[in-house]
Amino acid sequence: MTVQPTTPVSDDAIRSARFRREREAGWKRLDELVARAEKRGVQGMSYEDTLALASLYRQAMNSLSVARAISMDKALLTYLEALCARAYLVVYAPQESVTGVLGRLFSHGIPQAFRRTQVALFVGFLALILGAFTGYVLYGQDPAWFFTFVPPDLSDGRTPEASAEYLRRTLFDDGALTGGTMGVFASLLFSHNTQVAILIFALGIFVTLPSFVLTYYNGLILGAFYAMFAQAGLGYELLGWLSIHGVTELAAICIACAGGAQLGLAVLLPGNRTRRAALSERGRDAVKLMILAGLMLIVAAFVEGFLRQLVQSTEMRLAIGWGLGLAWFGWLMLSGREGRRA
Amino acid sequence: MTTTTVVKVQGQRRLENYLPPEGVPISFDIAGLGARLGAQMLDLIITFGGVLVFLLLLNWANILGGNAFATLYFLLIFFVRIPYYILSELVWNGRTLGKRIVRIRVISVDGTRLTPYQITARNLMKEVEVFTPITMLFGATGFAWPVATAMLLWVFGVLVVPFLNKRRQRLGDMIAGTIVVDQPKAVLLPDLTQTEGQGAGARFVFDPSHLGIYGRYELQTLEQILRDPPKTPQARARVAEVCVTILKKIDYPEPVEHREQWEFLHEFYRQQREYLESRHLFGDSRENKFHAKTKKQDISN
Repeated sequence: MTVQPTTPVSDDAIRSARFRREREAGWKRLDELVARAEKRGVQGMSYEDTLALASLYRQAMNSLSVARAISMDKALLTYLEALCARAYLVVYAPQESVTGVLGRLFSHGIPQAFRRTQVALFVGFLALILGAFTGYVLYGQDPAWFFTFVPPDLSDGRTPEASAEYLRRTLFDDGALTGGTMGVFASLLFSHNTQVAILIFALGIFVTLPSFVLTYYNGLILGAFYAMFAQAGLGYELLGWLSIHGVTELAAICIACAGGAQLGLAVLLPGNRTRRAALSERGRDAVKLMILAGLMLIVAAFVEGFLRQLVQSTEMRLAIGWGLGLAWFGWLMLSGREGRRA
Repeated sequence: MTTTTVVKVQGQRRLENYLPPEGVPISFDIAGLGARLGAQMLDLIITFGGVLVFLLLLNWANILGGNAFATLYFLLIFFVRIPYYILSELVWNGRTLGKRIVRIRVISVDGTRLTPYQITARNLMKEVEVFTPITMLFGATGFAWPVATAMLLWVFGVLVVPFLNKRRQRLGDMIAGTIVVDQPKAVLLPDLTQTEGQGAGARFVFDPSHLGIYGRYELQTLEQILRDPPKTPQARARVAEVCVTILKKIDYPEPVEHREQWEFLHEFYRQQREYLESRHLFGDSRENKFHAKTKKQDISN
């Protein structure tokens, strides 16, 4: 049985030229579909066109494979290769829906990543706790350390020389923040903190050290602040003031640091793989930790911007802060577990 | 893992043996670092310029109060750093606005489709590789020298990474397993055996002794010459030179007149290609004019 080519072919055409003539229309059509998909995306195309795109792409791939075997026409080979590459990029575009990705991330991805990365999380939280401890002890020996640790614009008059009365005032009814300014404050906090967290995370690639140092430094400030307020007899009140947002915010910083540590550890201890392979494998969990940190920072900024001003009792502040912490912990520990049969 | 190789052809790095799920290897041109720098600059100008213009317009229109304006400002400034890149590469399949303009794009290095994870990972690292260094450079005057030195080292280290690996990946690309390539351009040129004056040169007859000299390389070089018809006297002289060389090399019996040379080359190309292609089908691939020698070597080995 012979297959009649659709276009008339002159008898003396050589084999590879006949091959090209028979398929050229399909390539042209694919070219046109790909150009359309590149401009407006596959979503805007009709069902028939999408179907044609997929099948013409596979035909073009087939043509390329055959042309490599039978044709010495360089122009044809170059064209087919570029056409296939372009079509490939359109056909294999990411097609997950945003809601699907987010849903999976929250139900499985993040909690599982959190449970898998204990070493890195240990490093992250250790950095903050060590820093806080050092800050506290050093302040106890000589309050002048406070000025070394805390930049002046952060302390805002809350220095060891300040009276206990002034310090107390900074903890409660801090000023005339009205509803409108609270929103500004919250967005400023979120924007600033997230950038710091991303920096801490990304610096981890330099073998963890910069992430650790930055988190440790955050701990130092925390420890020195606490020691100062504790000396003024306001330790409990400060705990409430800090807890309401700090449980979430500081945990987020630690988690960002853990994400960085995850990258740094891949560079430092790649195991049996190349560093590049180790990085791209452990990077998955690291990025999820960073997304978690970003999410927590949004919540923390909201709490710090609004709730801290609205809630003035220390007990309530403690309850909200640690309750929130417990909720995070519960989600991360319990969600996304594979159902095990007893 | 990946089977891809990087080959340098005429100063252009190509990523070869890139294997799509269909199993036919294809290749991509790796984007030049200049193009990537340009795309990054364009993105910075577009995003920050856009925010600036938008805020100025809002300010001029005076729709929002001071607080809402400030809130919007902080959120926008945050958005145009990392989230803009992640979102645009997700929506446009590995292309930000800047990348679209300079015609480059991100692909996954292992032949699979680009995943949201990869896009997020490579852009999170931008904070270390682009934004923080830029911010520091603008505010670098007030630092003590050890800090300034450390910062310079950092910037230098980050900038040098893409130069040190063959795939021109930056740190974020390495973590995410991505690579930036030129957007492929497909232009189909006419088939030289089918175009002008079918049969005009048919009076030239070549027998296997004439066609058995050259190989694929010479054929494709001739193709390049034929695709660019001579327009100046110098170009015509060069074509004549090529024609004379071929005549001498294949020991063609008849003389070819000057005005027939172009047709002669076309006809020679046609018959040479037919001959080489059919030899190739029968397992006798001739890469270049040294094919006879290499074959002898193969046998003696």
